[in-house]
Amino acid sequence: MQPPTGGEKPPSTYHGRTLTPVSSAPQLNPQPAFPPPTLPGPPFATSNAPGLISGSQFRPPFSSSQPVPGGTTAVPPPPPQAPFLAGQPVSGSSPFAPVGPTFGASATTSPPIRFNGPSSVGPTPARTYQQPEVPRFSSPSKPVTPLQSSYIRGPPQTPIQSVPMAAPPSQIGNQLGMRSNMPPPMGSASSLAQQHVQGFTNVNQQRTIYQPPPPPPPGQMQFPNVGTAVALHGQMQFPQSGATMTAPPQVQFPSMGPQVGPPIGSTGAIHSLVEEFQSLSVGAAPGSIDSGVDVKTLPRPLQGDEEPTRILESYPLNCHLRYFRLTTHALPNSQSLHARWHLPLGAVVHPLAESPNGEEVPVINFGNAGVIRCRRCRTYINPYVTFADSGRKWRCNLCQLLNDVPAEYFSALDASGRRYDADQRPELNKGTVDFLAPAEYMVRPPMPPCYFFLIDVSLASVQCGLLEVVAKTIKSCLDQLPGSPRTQIGFITFDSTLHFHNLKSSLTQPQMMVVPDLDDVFLPLPDDLLVNLSDSRNVVDSFLDSLPTMFQENPNVESATGPALKAAYMVMSQIGGKLLLFQSNLPSIGIGRLRLRGDDVRAYGTDKEHILRVPEDPFYKQMAAEFTKNQISVDIFAFSNKYCDIASLGTLSKYTGGQVYFYPSFHASTHGEKLQYELARNLTRETAWEAVMRIRCGKGVRFSTYHGHFMLRSTDLLALPAVDCDKAFSMQLNLEDTLMTTQTVYFQVALLYTSSSGERRIRVHTAAAPVVPDLGEMYRQADTGAIISLLSRMAVETTLSSKLEDARQMLQLKLVKSFKEYRNLYAVQHRLSGRLIFPDSLKYLPLYILSLCKSWGLRGGYADVSLDERCAAGYTMMVLPIASILRLLYPALYRMDEVLTKPSEKENIDELLTQVPLTVQCLDSRGLYLLNNGLSFILWLGRMLSPDLINGILGGNLANFPDLSKVQLNENGSEVSKKLTKVLKTLRQKNPSCHQLVHIIRQGEQPREGFMLLSNLAEDQSAGAASYVDWVLQIHRQTQG
Amino acid sequence: MSWELILWVWALVSVMSLVGLCLYQLITLSDLEFDYINPFDSSARINAVVIPEFLLQALLCASFLLTWHWFSFLLTLPVTCYHLNLYLKRRHLVDVTEIFRSLNSEKKYRIIKLALYVTLFVIVIYRLVLTAVTLLMDDEDVNFINSGTL
Repeated sequence: MQPPTGGEKPPSTYHGRTLTPVSSAPQLNPQPAFPPPTLPGPPFATSNAPGLISGSQFRPPFSSSQPVPGGTTAVPPPPPQAPFLAGQPVSGSSPFAPVGPTFGASATTSPPIRFNGPSSVGPTPARTYQQPEVPRFSSPSKPVTPLQSSYIRGPPQTPIQSVPMAAPPSQIGNQLGMRSNMPPPMGSASSLAQQHVQGFTNVNQQRTIYQPPPPPPPGQMQFPNVGTAVALHGQMQFPQSGATMTAPPQVQFPSMGPQVGPPIGSTGAIHSLVEEFQSLSVGAAPGSIDSGVDVKTLPRPLQGDEEPTRILESYPLNCHLRYFRLTTHALPNSQSLHARWHLPLGAVVHPLAESPNGEEVPVINFGNAGVIRCRRCRTYINPYVTFADSGRKWRCNLCQLLNDVPAEYFSALDASGRRYDADQRPELNKGTVDFLAPAEYMVRPPMPPCYFFLIDVSLASVQCGLLEVVAKTIKSCLDQLPGSPRTQIGFITFDSTLHFHNLKSSLTQPQMMVVPDLDDVFLPLPDDLLVNLSDSRNVVDSFLDSLPTMFQENPNVESATGPALKAAYMVMSQIGGKLLLFQSNLPSIGIGRLRLRGDDVRAYGTDKEHILRVPEDPFYKQMAAEFTKNQISVDIFAFSNKYCDIASLGTLSKYTGGQVYFYPSFHASTHGEKLQYELARNLTRETAWEAVMRIRCGKGVRFSTYHGHFMLRSTDLLALPAVDCDKAFSMQLNLEDTLMTTQTVYFQVALLYTSSSGERRIRVHTAAAPVVPDLGEMYRQADTGAIISLLSRMAVETTLSSKLEDARQMLQLKLVKSFKEYRNLYAVQHRLSGRLIFPDSLKYLPLYILSLCKSWGLRGGYADVSLDERCAAGYTMMVLPIASILRLLYPALYRMDEVLTKPSEKENIDELLTQVPLTVQCLDSRGLYLLNNGLSFILWLGRMLSPDLINGILGGNLANFPDLSKVQLNENGSEVSKKLTKVLKTLRQKNPSCHQLVHIIRQGEQPREGFMLLSNLAEDQSAGAASYVDWVLQIHRQTQG
Repeated sequence: MSWELILWVWALVSVMSLVGLCLYQLITLSDLEFDYINPFDSSARINAVVIPEFLLQALLCASFLLTWHWFSFLLTLPVTCYHLNLYLKRRHLVDVTEIFRSLNSEKKYRIIKLALYVTLFVIVIYRLVLTAVTLLMDDEDVNFINSGTL
């Protein structure tokens, strides 16, 4: 336990460094290794690398470093004192990998986000913690008026002992210190704070730093300016009135000093209320007919996901929030406090989230020092470790063990205990880094990227044009498959028999071998079923060319999925990789055959309901386990327009880190574009192979439950045969001790993976969060996005073991309990009957939970969503990152007609589009609206929309399109159409993980309108679920009880 | 040798093996918990002995029924029914994919079963000794009577 010791070194005094490795590094490397940020290249690609000289091209962060012929030439290891390994090819560090040059980072450029404080640990968090422009972070020493600071109101609440928050004022000094986790600030903030208390004569120096109105020392204290006495235990006496008051202090405090705020009065109280929490007036009496809720004032997340960046202000060395988010960035310090936090406590991890250009994750090679980790808890070195013993030891921030610094890694410390080279080492100043893993981290040579396609070629596939799209797309992606020239590829097609394809490079045409024996699957060839793509490119090309025609006349309607999976397993088990299953039928013969189910209405609402949503045949679970064991990840592309048991098939993806794509009633002419994009994205996106992920955390807390697509290999190790930038994972935290003694908990996510280039790497994200003793602070630091992400996964898992209704009730109960608890914190003082109160951080929570209950996975009953779509939605929700799940739950609705018709100077599409609330009242029948839920676009044409606009969009009269569901939106010559295409393109670029197909719907076109659009309007009453207003009233009623 | 003695000897042997099987499963589960073994091996080992255990237990129960040992039969019956129930619902095998999630309940279930088996073991030992002793004493009595009469 090492509390930051900011007092040792005022932050402002650290300016110059005596030793400047910045200047020394370029001498080591005459050609500095950093392209200017404007160049379209990863920042750590280098210019003096042999690979680049020999004509290497643009390399995305993951992609292969060229196997460099000269890479094996011995490069002298960096001098121990060299602050940076820039320019040193890592060749030879890993015996297996054909590694190109990899560089830690450049010494010439300082990292983009750099807090210039003296130490990486101590004062840095402390300083920012007090910044006055963080109004809700309740920094005690904020020089703002007490009215706006929650803490300032904290202590005087204490007289009301029944209030849960209350604590004797004598402890408040400590409590506040603990709560804010910071040393007594010595900087400007505290001097500002002192200005506010200058009127007090008897001010304890130490306490002023916490509080403008200081907790009173024993005995009475005179405040000359005000003439107010504050008695022990928080009882306030106002000499003017002579009354002893125990009333809520929020109101009374302003009177203490003329300089602190407005005078006592109801306006002041209301003002403080608004600052402290949000409240909604919900009418006079609960249950009255007139709801009294102003629909317009209800909070709506029209901006989409908002990352809680406040935590980064207090802990600037944390990894970016796109990688790691906690449901509340203030952890409870005791189990009893945790029990009062009724929302899930946990984290959402998105380890490979795409970073914007210029913020690529630095790759670090420790060379001979090996990856530097804590001896005991195996934590990787990170910005929060402290160095001791003049730089020879480092203290692990998770377990406090003092470790030796390897000689190669040694650097002297400056006066504040900070390493001189800390600015040059990304692992010491960035929360996210990639370490190059040496041979100890490999059980076998890094595997090549391997893609294996299992394609159902029965009648249904041919009829819907699936084969053609798939073959074309795969062929177009062959050049972009990552990991060239090591990439492996293979194909099996199947109907009621299995067709193996020999792709041997010496052949001119692929050979097809048919195996009709489904009971005892065997491979007709020992090898050449999975071949190196660059060697066999011609054969693969000719196979893909002939694939659509090969099965054109195939009358076979059976689908031997199970045996085909077994065969694919036998082919791939040596290498591992990605298996893409294209399924257009219910698996009908052989092992793993499934039967029609889910058409039984009677099952709904009974205890047997959930059985429909779990795999029917244990074969799929066993196969999934086998696949994971052999590092095979399964992605399911399902196309059936009949029932095809996504619940069973999806299991394969669930436990192998895969993904389920479902295209109901697929037809190439309408859905081809979507499939093409999504398959191409799947094949070409950066993928991490044979990965395992572990998340470590400091003493006192433990991750207990994990949610997402992976398989647990031990209690806390997630096996991920393949993982990519579109997958997020979430986990729940448990407190192990009844009382936590530490003031900060550190988390470290480590993902060990093989990059497509064949390097073994470890991606490490480090984050810190304060431990707080009060519930109010937890609520202030809550993160709605992370809570919703975790809750949605918990709800989907609940539907696998119980009824849909139970899952919805679970969500509602959690919401009600947490709001009730919050109400108890404040309602007593404020007599807030008739108001629903909630923290500002959770203002969107009710709406999101309502729309979660209305989401496809959890909505209604039997008739509302088909079983397959429900299961597919469930699988999708289990992997979506936070921003996407929020967009899916509360889609963006834009009014488009004005945007399209009115000429405007603004080029930026974002500025043109304004989001409107998701309710049918906002739909004007003269308008054109676009709904974007992240997975698809819905274009709604009002009944009275001008025909010109319709003609412009569709390129013809509406009467020419009897069936709008088959209409494809193509750009035609008109101005409107051009503009619409541009808007759609911009919106698609924002969410590259999938292709949003445009569905055009005419107002009043039932049942499509109701099914596709109206059910997406989360604020309206639908499918037995309440409207937003009713929901708020309901929650309000329940929090009253 | 009387049938009674054979029954109790058989019961002793089978109860001992039941205890052994149960302990084996528990040890495998706790090994898994402490990361000495991976879930694939662990579930394969456990699943290999589940059916033998069920069969042995059912046989024991049946043999008590057939020999009209009501008390012992009623003691073993609940476990048999539970096993049958699990088997019919196809939940008797450990699910490798969800093994960590169900680890605690699986352990609890096996600990309770172990406690039942141990109770049964004590009873069986007692009955075995009782039978053996009475048998010996009867023999001696018979011998004595025989020698007395002769």
